[in-house]
Amino acid sequence: MDKLIIQILNESRQRIYTMWMDEMDRVREDHRLQSITDATYEDTNKELFEIIYTHIEQNVHKPTERMTEFAERLLKVGWRLSYITQGLQTFRRIILAVLLDADHSNEKVFNMYDEIDRWIDPIINQLINESAKNWENTVSIQKVALQELSAPLIPVFENISVMPLIGTIDTERAKLIMENLLTGVIKHRSQVVLIDITGVPVVDTMVAHHIIQAAEAVRLVGAQCILVGIRPEIAQTIVNLGIDLGQFPTKSTLFKGMKTALEMTKRQMIDLDE
Amino acid sequence: MNIQSCVEVRNEWDIVKARQSGRNIAKELGFGTVDQARITTAISELARNIYLYAGKGEVSIERTETGSKVGLKIIAADSGPGIKDIRRVMEDGFTTSGGLGAGLPGVKRLMDEFTIDSKENEGTTITAIKWLR
Amino acid sequence: MRIPILKLNEYLLITIQVDLDDKTALQFQEDLLEKIHETGAKGVVIDLTSVDMIDSFIAKVLGDVVRMSNLMGARVVLTGIQPAVAITLIDLGIMMKNVPTALDLEQGLEKLQQELGG
Repeated sequence: MDKLIIQILNESRQRIYTMWMDEMDRVREDHRLQSITDATYEDTNKELFEIIYTHIEQNVHKPTERMTEFAERLLKVGWRLSYITQGLQTFRRIILAVLLDADHSNEKVFNMYDEIDRWIDPIINQLINESAKNWENTVSIQKVALQELSAPLIPVFENISVMPLIGTIDTERAKLIMENLLTGVIKHRSQVVLIDITGVPVVDTMVAHHIIQAAEAVRLVGAQCILVGIRPEIAQTIVNLGIDLGQFPTKSTLFKGMKTALEMTKRQMIDLDE
Repeated sequence: MNIQSCVEVRNEWDIVKARQSGRNIAKELGFGTVDQARITTAISELARNIYLYAGKGEVSIERTETGSKVGLKIIAADSGPGIKDIRRVMEDGFTTSGGLGAGLPGVKRLMDEFTIDSKENEGTTITAIKWLR
Repeated sequence: MRIPILKLNEYLLITIQVDLDDKTALQFQEDLLEKIHETGAKGVVIDLTSVDMIDSFIAKVLGDVVRMSNLMGARVVLTGIQPAVAITLIDLGIMMKNVPTALDLEQGLEKLQQELGG
């Protein structure tokens, strides 16, 4: 960076600091950071300011390790990345104002402006990129976690298993459900599988199609499906959409389905006499 | 082991040959049992179409990749009568053979990508890809 | 190539353990019907545990064989269809409706016994 700029920045450090801290109070309101104590907010600001200045001293055009670490730490406790980017932008606004005060030629001012842009923008960009990458990572990890939670087949009685479905069913998940269902049926030697859709918020044509296909596949491997957990609104949509679920038995609750399943495997629940 | 194979289809036995080499390559590439079955079945259907409608042709199976994805590509080519109305053969339930072959929509559902290139009286080339998950 | 057909009392048992080509499949269809005629078998179990692929042609032959056997008075149960095979059939759009199934040979025989009343 231009030596003159660095010199001005170092000379007016105290002034810049005061102006910047004033501006950061407004940032605080934008970010709902009022719940943070004044002392903590001021300390954090002070640290950010220090870090920004080390960029000037080291004359680097990308976030220093200290900056990255600082950003990670703040994000972890729930601050937003825009607190830092806004801090940097505010900083840019103030140093431009300070540089302009120093009364230079137009050309000089333009060059300074350009140089500061070139200095600050890459830092902001890289901070955003890195946190976006972290975020994408988190999303893909959660996706895997979700898949793992997705569709367990639970053996309940001999030859009877239950698969509770929870959440929205898309094509990707439907495939997974089908595979879990079939391998589970073989593994537990289930003759009857109860698919419980109590936790499926919406049953549209697509979801019904996936469920019917799963039930057909279950029949092919040699077991039978009972669809349970049909709430009134789901019964309504199924009929209104003209979906035919007639090929396999349906019940409103898991309990009723379980009774049917026991009958199908020649057993029943009885009350013991007291 | 070669990650490519080309089987000429002239008789019913070649259908079995094509799908066996397809299964081997699918295994080699690391596909799970379900996708192996999907790939083998798709090859069987395509090879049978060649045998039924064109008399002879060939099925090649190869590894393919774009960007970070690796997959298996099936190319079924013949110089038979070609397909008159591609849109119609892609409708479920369309058949000219009286129920032999589940038809191309079935094959399309088995695979991830599916394209038909056909000219009347010149022949048909069907390309289908399954990506490793 | 021929697929062996075993007789057990009034049932016929078939375990398919080869990759079925078209000719073998059709030969099997013929052999089974002949055997039903010859023995007067009431029930048939076709076990598909070792079959790792069923395409539309084999599915059609199997479906036909079930209907033809029914015409001749023998009930047929298909057993041991593998998950991968079932999923592939569903993808193809082949539901094999009206074809009785069971998990394995044992449950297949049980099913026949129930349906034929002992």
